Amino acid sequence: MMNGKLRKQIGAIATWVLTFILMVIICVPGLWVVLTAFRPNGEVLAKPPVWIPENPSLNNFAKIFGFGADQVAIPVPAYFANSLIIALTSTAIALLIGMSGGYAFARYRFRFKNGLFLGLMLSRTVPGIALSLPIFMIWSRIGLIDAKLGLIIVYVALNVPFTIWLIDGFFRQIPKEMSEAAQVDGCTRWQAFWKIEFPLAKSGIASAGIFAFLTSWNEYALASNLTRSTDSKTLPVGLMDFTAQFTIDWAGMSAMAVIIIIPALILTFLVQKHLIAGLTFGGVKG
Amino acid sequence: MAEITLNNVIKRYGKVEVVHGIDLDIAHNEFVVLVGPSGCGKSTTLRMIAGLEDISDGTVSIGPGVVNDLPPRKRNISMVFQNYALYPHMSVRENLGFGLKIAKQDEATITARVNEAADILGLDELLERTPAELSGGQRQRVAMGRAIVRHPEAFLFDEPLSNLDAKLRVQMRTEIKKLHQKVKTTVVYVTHDQVEAMTLADRIVVMKDGHIEQVGTPMEVFNHPVNTFVASFIGSPPMNLLPATIRGTEVVFTDGKSLPVPTRLADRVRDGQEVIFGLRPDDLTPVGHGIAESGDSARLTLDVVLSEPLGTETILYTSIAGLEAQGKMFGPRDVTPGETLEFDIAMDRAHLFDAATGNSVRSD
Amino acid sequence: MATKRPPFWQREKYTPFLLLLPAILTLLFVVLLPLLFSLYTSFTGYRLIRPESLWQWVGFRNYQRIFADGDFWTAFGRTIIFLTIALNLEFLFGLGIALLINKITWGQRTLRTIMMFPMMFSPILVGYQFKFVFNDNIGILNNALQSLGLSDGAIPWLVDKYLANFSIIFAEVWMSTSVFAILLLAGLFAMPRDPLEAAKVDGCNPWQVFRHITLPFLMPFVFIAMTIRSLDVARAYDIVDVMTGGGPAGRTELLWTLIARTGYDNARMGQANAMAYVSILLSIAFTYYFFTKLLAARKYMGGAE
Repeated sequence: MMNGKLRKQIGAIATWVLTFILMVIICVPGLWVVLTAFRPNGEVLAKPPVWIPENPSLNNFAKIFGFGADQVAIPVPAYFANSLIIALTSTAIALLIGMSGGYAFARYRFRFKNGLFLGLMLSRTVPGIALSLPIFMIWSRIGLIDAKLGLIIVYVALNVPFTIWLIDGFFRQIPKEMSEAAQVDGCTRWQAFWKIEFPLAKSGIASAGIFAFLTSWNEYALASNLTRSTDSKTLPVGLMDFTAQFTIDWAGMSAMAVIIIIPALILTFLVQKHLIAGLTFGGVKG
Repeated sequence: MAEITLNNVIKRYGKVEVVHGIDLDIAHNEFVVLVGPSGCGKSTTLRMIAGLEDISDGTVSIGPGVVNDLPPRKRNISMVFQNYALYPHMSVRENLGFGLKIAKQDEATITARVNEAADILGLDELLERTPAELSGGQRQRVAMGRAIVRHPEAFLFDEPLSNLDAKLRVQMRTEIKKLHQKVKTTVVYVTHDQVEAMTLADRIVVMKDGHIEQVGTPMEVFNHPVNTFVASFIGSPPMNLLPATIRGTEVVFTDGKSLPVPTRLADRVRDGQEVIFGLRPDDLTPVGHGIAESGDSARLTLDVVLSEPLGTETILYTSIAGLEAQGKMFGPRDVTPGETLEFDIAMDRAHLFDAATGNSVRSD
Repeated sequence: MATKRPPFWQREKYTPFLLLLPAILTLLFVVLLPLLFSLYTSFTGYRLIRPESLWQWVGFRNYQRIFADGDFWTAFGRTIIFLTIALNLEFLFGLGIALLINKITWGQRTLRTIMMFPMMFSPILVGYQFKFVFNDNIGILNNALQSLGLSDGAIPWLVDKYLANFSIIFAEVWMSTSVFAILLLAGLFAMPRDPLEAAKVDGCNPWQVFRHITLPFLMPFVFIAMTIRSLDVARAYDIVDVMTGGGPAGRTELLWTLIARTGYDNARMGQANAMAYVSILLSIAFTYYFFTKLLAARKYMGGAE
């Protein structure tokens, strides 16, 4: 009796200890970067290490955004704008294409359906760096190197397969009879889609959009080879500018990292529930 | 005016034909039930009438015109789905009014019609709720309400009660019948439940494997099944079907026991014909425990294997020629298993089917 | 009665293809055609600095050259080992984390959300973050070890042959374990209670229940995770590029960093494309393998939905 109770207690304690360790491993590296973003560079290099920032300040952020005296040579605001424009545009286009394709997979039976689906997915497996070679060669011939448009087109293609996978899953969660009932009620298929199926799949589609946005926002392998200047460089590529300098500006780099992380954190928080549902539904129910 | 006419309607999926040429005339205001086991093509037929499935061949007319190439919205029908298909993001009121709104009716008409439908179905209290807040029976009622607000030419029901529990199903069945009496319209109703078919239909269409087996009023189908499939599908407990051979004026079972050929069928059978003898449990009753005296009766002595008391009657399991047969005891007394009883057999209600074709010898 | 057939684009039969047309066109022009072009290029001696070399057909020379090249095979082998270790660790840790979080009732949602963050991080950030953590001079790891007295010198995490590879795998596992954890947790949530209880009643101990009931049920979810992961294994390029750049002295060179170095830094596009094709086939093989596993597992689970 006593033994069972004891074992249960040990189990509970072990669970908590393991969870604690897990959270430490997940959170500490990121937290360290965040803390560094608020330190003066001297404190970063200090020996013995300064654990908690003694003089936290926003100087690093002011610096990378070009305020104050000791601004860095890296044009972060331009990169930020590029990232935003490229990610938003490519997401919007990918969503339109993905909605149309996802709906086709969810609602129609047609020849080559499985083959097409597999083909779409396989197109996504091509490693970014491998795809970047021919695209680099083609883009440089047609003037899309170092252009936002060039990157937008690539990111649309990068996001379409996964967007279709997710949206297919969300549409399939809506019973087919909903659309049929609406058609019997007097809707055209088009009306039935916009008045019934779209509103029901809306939150799922939104999360597919967020996922596409993050993919574009985070992408590096292609962007680093297809961009050259402030015209089109995105934040992840810009982050590497720091390493090109003679001494690494850890504090400035960390501040820039925080700027890249923030949208990811917020959007992940918004999207997490739907994303899991979409992935598992599309995958398990076929 | 909305007769529905199906003329040699065929449905193919690729090369597989699932409905093989259905001919059916449904009269104005008639309540027709398509019944059959799952996979018999009844739902596909209904969906072709609705316009939700393409018609591979043949024609469907609703009212005066062929509707083959009309989309569902132009057929002026309404449909109740098995899972109700209520729009979860709309209130009950919006659900009911959706079709009218799409048809660009003005607000006043919509409100009036919605209220009228809510009134008929007792939904007044629920109008502002969403489908998620409704019970199964209430959802069912909203689905029906959505069908009636549009004053369509015909109602189509696709197994509307199969998601309800047994008690509610009986209750909603009555409501559907009442509704049809109130709102006179043509109804095509699909179910796999023969009790629903019997209780609701003006005419029953029994289907199997994409063919129509028999069309008739519930009593016709029950009393004069055209073949063994209909005989066994309609009626509960099902009809006893026992292989036998005609020898002169006797029906001889495989174990040598025999009964006289029913008088009314005497000149329809020939000597030596292999037949299946069909008898409903209601017509196999211990002497003194039948419903009514039969003009043409015979007797057999049988052992009771098992008895199931149901109150007003007891179902008796016995065996004839090694096959299980069910009988009924009206005004029952306790029966112990193994008891031997003398059974009355109402030969004027017995059926003979040709063993080779399965068709009733009467209908040849 | 005469009926007009609707024009072909309104016919049900063609609708799905019409709906898929934008997707197909996009992938055709941005993925398939470029890949055909790079396939061609891999048979030429194309160098970026000599544009006319694009037309210089060399047959299988690029392939012969890379297959005879020790550096290529080292990178290739390292990539396979890297993927095998990383995917297995991710699966094991993911399973453990899913089982752990499944046990916790209080604060579960928050834990789940936190767990998802690494997956959403830019790989380049993950790389930077661990470049910082593992930095021998100012990294938090060495600082912590020194403060705790566990080590007196600066451990060269990113320089030593073994430690550098360990650091890279650590970063990769840190980033991607949550894919497994999240999906397996979803699988655990979706798991029906009845078979578990039936097994307990039938006398199974907890390990047997896990081995014979829980794990088979989770397998489709494992394969979804594997499929999703194999779609983007090449994300590791970003991490390595930031953390070590394949160095020092090629000690952490993976197939993908080697491609980038050959194509862009050495401007040997033809040869880089030949390597790229090897990496593409590798990715496709991984994905295809897990996808067929997924389909099989799904069929197997069909009865239980």
